Amino acid sequence: MTRSSLLLQSDLLPEALDISFKLVPAILVLSMLGLFLTIGFVFRVADTDNMWVAGRSIGNLENGMAIGANWMSAASYLGMAASIALAGFYGLVFVVGWTTGYFILLIFLAAQLRRFGKYTAPDFVGDRFNSDSARAIAAVTTFLIGFVYAIGQAKGMALVSLYIFGDYGGLIPGLDGYQVMVVFMMTITVGYLTLSGMMGATKNQAVQYTILIVAFVAGLYAVGWTQGYSTVLPQLEYGALISQLGSEFSEPFASSSYYLWVATTFSLIVGTCGLPHVLVRFYTVESERTARWSTVWGLFFICILYWSAPAFAAFGTDLYSQNVGPTYGDPGMASAASEVIVVLAAQLAELPQWFVGLVAAGGIAAAIATVAGLFIAGSSAISHDIYTNIINEDATQRQQILVGRLSIVALGALTTLAALNPASSIAALVGYAFSLAGSVLFPMFFLGMWWENANRQGALAGMTTGLTLWSIPMINQIVPTYIGSLEAPLSAGLAQWMPAIGSALITLPIVFVVTIVVSMATDEPSLETKRIVRQCHSPEPMGQQETAEDVVADGGEDVATDGGRAVDDAAAEGDRADGDAAAEDR
Amino acid sequence: MTDNSSHDSGDNAGGRAADDAATDGGVAATAAQAHNDTDYLGAEVNILNPSTPYMRDHLRIVWTGFAIWVLAVWGPVTLTRLAPGPMTIQMPILGFPLHYFLVAFGAPTSALILAFWYSRRRDALDEKYGIDHANVTKSESGTGVAATDGGADE
Repeated sequence: MTRSSLLLQSDLLPEALDISFKLVPAILVLSMLGLFLTIGFVFRVADTDNMWVAGRSIGNLENGMAIGANWMSAASYLGMAASIALAGFYGLVFVVGWTTGYFILLIFLAAQLRRFGKYTAPDFVGDRFNSDSARAIAAVTTFLIGFVYAIGQAKGMALVSLYIFGDYGGLIPGLDGYQVMVVFMMTITVGYLTLSGMMGATKNQAVQYTILIVAFVAGLYAVGWTQGYSTVLPQLEYGALISQLGSEFSEPFASSSYYLWVATTFSLIVGTCGLPHVLVRFYTVESERTARWSTVWGLFFICILYWSAPAFAAFGTDLYSQNVGPTYGDPGMASAASEVIVVLAAQLAELPQWFVGLVAAGGIAAAIATVAGLFIAGSSAISHDIYTNIINEDATQRQQILVGRLSIVALGALTTLAALNPASSIAALVGYAFSLAGSVLFPMFFLGMWWENANRQGALAGMTTGLTLWSIPMINQIVPTYIGSLEAPLSAGLAQWMPAIGSALITLPIVFVVTIVVSMATDEPSLETKRIVRQCHSPEPMGQQETAEDVVADGGEDVATDGGRAVDDAAAEGDRADGDAAAEDR
Repeated sequence: MTDNSSHDSGDNAGGRAADDAATDGGVAATAAQAHNDTDYLGAEVNILNPSTPYMRDHLRIVWTGFAIWVLAVWGPVTLTRLAPGPMTIQMPILGFPLHYFLVAFGAPTSALILAFWYSRRRDALDEKYGIDHANVTKSESGTGVAATDGGADE
């Protein structure tokens, strides 16, 4: 344990990065954090509606930015360029998977989720399938996703802070410089979140998006301009540089197979459509049309960074080879150095210190914005879905918010611990969370929304299957890295065909089949549930504060105008519906 | 705004007939009429078997977009696997290897264009069926608040 952790620790300080305390960048980052806290304080919340869904009042552009900031984490800002630099063509799976998934989200889920109009992802699962068990599984999954996803963010924040604040190894006994930064940055993030809640988070996310995109794009232009790589469109001009970077940068399937490429993109795409902190963005908008258009805006804002990341990776790789040593081959660029290649490129281009600090600050903004979304989703799963809906139905708002804040602190502590010796690269750590979302939540959303006969038994069977299948490659590949005596992967064959980062390609079809078969073998859901699903697809506009359930339940006019038809339906399904209603009575 | 007219006969038959009229004629008024005649809460939701004219039109857009999307996402990489030679040639002017450009730039851009296209088509579809989002959102938000509170308390 001690030997391996020592090894890991020395590995975690990025070589070539200038690690020291720098006054101007430090002021920059601290005032940025102060700004977040101020905004969080100004828009602080006292009631749950604002805490979770920002009062459903967010418009097109603002929500688009929030989608972008929420989405683009340290994995996009740092991890993606790192993967592209180190893994070459395989690194592009992140560019593809993390953008194109939004189209699937848009055409299949965005507007329908807005019409459903509930607070959280587990809320959807629980209400759609009339089951507190399903709600609990979804809530636990949400919590787990927040945890796994945030490990990568903590790693990214800490690495970048090393450039800004320097190496304080030993300040906390037993922890090295990187680990001290993990603790420091996570403490700040958790403090900010417990103070502000979702309203603060949403307002902040527009600011955070602006900071991160300006920092990233300005960094790219400055590096490209000063080093003579590019002039006005580095996003296209880096193409000419590729042939000089060594075949590892662009050669297809050099470091990975076609299968792994497809499996990873698939997993990242369906994960995109199943991530609770992404889906909750559609509950916060004012109407379903806003849900659609803000997805388009969001994707555009995301693309700005994703077009730029491969260019940054190319410039960084070239600068590294010129100034430090060969990027590829032995020893090559270490993974810790690659993780900060965005910052490193700016430093190696000899840009002024405050400017490199700005690029680094953008990485921190990206990480904090995403951790905010993740932890809000994770803590609302605990306080709203498990505590209020299952444990204590009479919970006051004060109690709910208290439990929510406690679970944010718990998530923060867990994440900090796991990030001290992270198992993989930033992008891969985040990828595992996508596999989980794609294995468990996406099938429930998709089938629940698009097939009214999907029922409680099907959902329970499907989600259990998904969780189990997801954990198999995780135990095979990831858990051993935290246990000194084991070597990862336990089974190389399994790791090849069911890689942890792309496991949804295998699990998703199985979960679909299990859910469908079990749903068909058991009773159909009640008519009320079906009518809620139908309401989600009806083109009839809904009020800003209305949910599908409201329309179905207390839309007096609806029932009246249904007239004979409702009676017909009821007669056809009457017995079954009554039986279900009794059985599912909460 | 709730305007489902009631009819006594089975809604399936009614919906179908209205849809035929809509697709044949293609006149906005006909589609809007079909919309008025459709009871959306009484029509089954099954992605493989759309039961209302609106859903059928909508899914036609969805599946078209989906097919193009699949090609844009996995087409280039599959071609690269099948024919590495032609796919890795250097592009004129830009200098990218072709496969790299199609994946790194082509895929995200395609998704963005498709998303824009879909949202436009969806708005056009709403217009064809005489659905106006702007008015309803404003006018009904007041009454909706009460309903939400009722729902949240349970």
